[in-house]
Amino acid sequence: MNLKEWIFTTDHKRVGVLYLIGSIAAFAVAGILALLMRAELSTVGPTITANPTNYNVWLYGHGAMMILGFQIPALTGFFANYCIPLMIGAKDVAFPRVNALSVWLFYVGIILALLTFVMPDPPDVMWTGYPPYSTITTGNTAMYTFTVLILGFASIIGGVNFLTTVAYMRAPGLTWNKLNIFVWCTLGAFVLQLIFVPVLGTAVTLISLDKYLGTHFFDPTQGGDVLTYQNLFWFYSHPAVYVIFLPFIGVIYEIVATFSRNRVFNYKMVVYGGVFGVVALSGEVWVHHLYVSGMADWLRIGQMITTLMISVPVGLLVIGLVGTLYKGSISFETPMLYALGVLFLFLIGGLTGIPLAVTSLTVHLARTYYVVGHFHYVMAVAGTFAIFAGVYYWFPKVTGRMYNEFWGKVGFWITFIGTNLVFWTMMDIGVKGMPRRYYDYSHFSQFEGAHQLMTLGAVILGVGFVIAVLNWIIGAARGPKAPDNPWNSNSLEWSTVSPPPHGNWPVPPSVGADWYPYGAAKK
Amino acid sequence: MAHHEGAHGVADGHAHWDTSVWPFVISFGILALVIAFSLHFVYHQDFASVLTLGLGLIMIVSGVAGWTSEAMGKGDGMSYSAMGWFILAEAMIFVAMFVTYWYLRLNTDVWPPAGSVDLPKAMPLMMTFVLVSSSLTIHYAEHLLHQGNRGGYVNWLMATIVLGFCFLGMSAYEWSHLMHEGFNIGTNLLGTVFFSITGLHGSHVVVGLAIFLAGLVSALRGNVDEGFARTAGLYWHFVDIIWFFVVSQVYYW
Repeated sequence: MNLKEWIFTTDHKRVGVLYLIGSIAAFAVAGILALLMRAELSTVGPTITANPTNYNVWLYGHGAMMILGFQIPALTGFFANYCIPLMIGAKDVAFPRVNALSVWLFYVGIILALLTFVMPDPPDVMWTGYPPYSTITTGNTAMYTFTVLILGFASIIGGVNFLTTVAYMRAPGLTWNKLNIFVWCTLGAFVLQLIFVPVLGTAVTLISLDKYLGTHFFDPTQGGDVLTYQNLFWFYSHPAVYVIFLPFIGVIYEIVATFSRNRVFNYKMVVYGGVFGVVALSGEVWVHHLYVSGMADWLRIGQMITTLMISVPVGLLVIGLVGTLYKGSISFETPMLYALGVLFLFLIGGLTGIPLAVTSLTVHLARTYYVVGHFHYVMAVAGTFAIFAGVYYWFPKVTGRMYNEFWGKVGFWITFIGTNLVFWTMMDIGVKGMPRRYYDYSHFSQFEGAHQLMTLGAVILGVGFVIAVLNWIIGAARGPKAPDNPWNSNSLEWSTVSPPPHGNWPVPPSVGADWYPYGAAKK
Repeated sequence: MAHHEGAHGVADGHAHWDTSVWPFVISFGILALVIAFSLHFVYHQDFASVLTLGLGLIMIVSGVAGWTSEAMGKGDGMSYSAMGWFILAEAMIFVAMFVTYWYLRLNTDVWPPAGSVDLPKAMPLMMTFVLVSSSLTIHYAEHLLHQGNRGGYVNWLMATIVLGFCFLGMSAYEWSHLMHEGFNIGTNLLGTVFFSITGLHGSHVVVGLAIFLAGLVSALRGNVDEGFARTAGLYWHFVDIIWFFVVSQVYYW
């Protein structure tokens, strides 16, 4: 093992593995912060810290690291890097050096996020950075701004790279209608990144301009308006949900099709209806984050309608999955368990989102734990389960070894139980009025038992995740050798040896007119 | 494409994997810039800030130089369409800025707000003339390169760079003139909008010039790449087009 060839690598597979290592590290840190918060909330009043600012910093770290440090880099960094060139039969991405630049910028972002634990006056603006607080706090808002800018820039150049790669580097015979669903989904996510990340970048830059250079964008005494920030922020941050959702549902498609040994149900509906529909509608729904921030009714009603409408393409994507399962020859290896777990969690998350889309109900539900429970189901946990599913699925390809199937399943069930304990309880007490973001809930002491149940659930799901990560580490080091195509998949990434060499194939592959990435492998 | 292309040698039983140190160097140079910003604006450690800033700039400049000399002329001709996607992202930055500006301005009772000065009207026209000229010169330079005239390409590229620096000089003159009158970025909402939008556009001019300079240095060392020239030109035309929005929305509305 040549360390220099890893650190300075431009190979898409190694860049992908670097992304995976960094994002799992971010996941670990963010998970520990979540446990700290759960420990703090296990009793009414101060529990493990008497300083509410600590709680805010944990909340900032948990949200920012989970979304910007773990989910987006794992999905659009690791999976996209590792799988897309292999799935389209290319020897690498279009711009390998740009790829290396994006992974190291991602690490710089992680370093900046970790610096917040040692620097004086760390950022305490949560992951949203709302002014006016972010422009008057003594916390280091600049660090927040630059973390977002650097991770954002890394994802933009990554998006440019992959859109170009898929457009120009597909294997001979691999037409657009034969692309893996994962490739389509990830392209959709990259288009969203290109359109919406710059808007977030502008928003967070403006708060630092206000704070450090004395501009008045968000200063009402000079004609500025804080709602401008909230609109710019959610104009990105709602599509960011789809930046996570699209690749993760793509991963689930690969797994469900493989372990059902079936064709993808209604491929063209999934791609041109589901993926294209989500991309087209995702930029017209952000106001549902601002229903109670104060704005004209015509804006709220309009975006209530678009929010309900976006359920249609999302529903097409789910129907495609269920149709792929239908009459399939299903087996339940660990990746498939996680994938079916995603289907269940996403269904609960999606259905509990409908009340939140309705403006009249939101007045009651906004700012409560119901919202926290909902988005953890639909995005946080479903996305994380999908990432775990995908890592298990491509583990033999990436490492050339097998993980332990028994401990894989044990880890899944423990995590699954813990997850539902935490987030179902959250939605329950949210409906009953428990407000989110409280450090001390003395006014709601009736929820102490529920909070203790959630703390217990958080510990359980933490144990499940630790089992999974240990399973990977031990499997990568000492697991039995894996065959090149252990799951009998038709998809191109399984047609090379495990792990693939530099350049991926000795002879670049081409596919025939009757080739299709799904369905039973060659008899 | 990476520089060991095709050389998957299995000498001493160990296949070569492509590497490049420059992305790593540039990334950590950017980290240094971020730390320098915090040291100055948040922690008021000016000496440390200047040191870190210098270190970061050295890393970024040497990283870009190394990258350019390593990769120039070895592209697969995909950079032009990639730049199209990148420009989509860049355009969205300006969309966000202009929408913010329109929203704030249309929600204000009195415009321009108290304390404003009259923005210059003649200078932006001259700047427009300079920038449009530079778009034409770079287009002509590409045309000459396409015909195989490398010397002509280098000359017209240099003319473009000179025009770009003229534009920046005029912008700097205008800024210092306004600040001399006591009108700056914190004066009122007009100052905020004027300096941040012209500054944002100016920073794109700087990036465009940096790309041209990287191409010029390579060209003077005998390494000319037509794909690079077209891609750099495309970015420059984009910067030019954005300037029309700046002039019409900020100076003349």
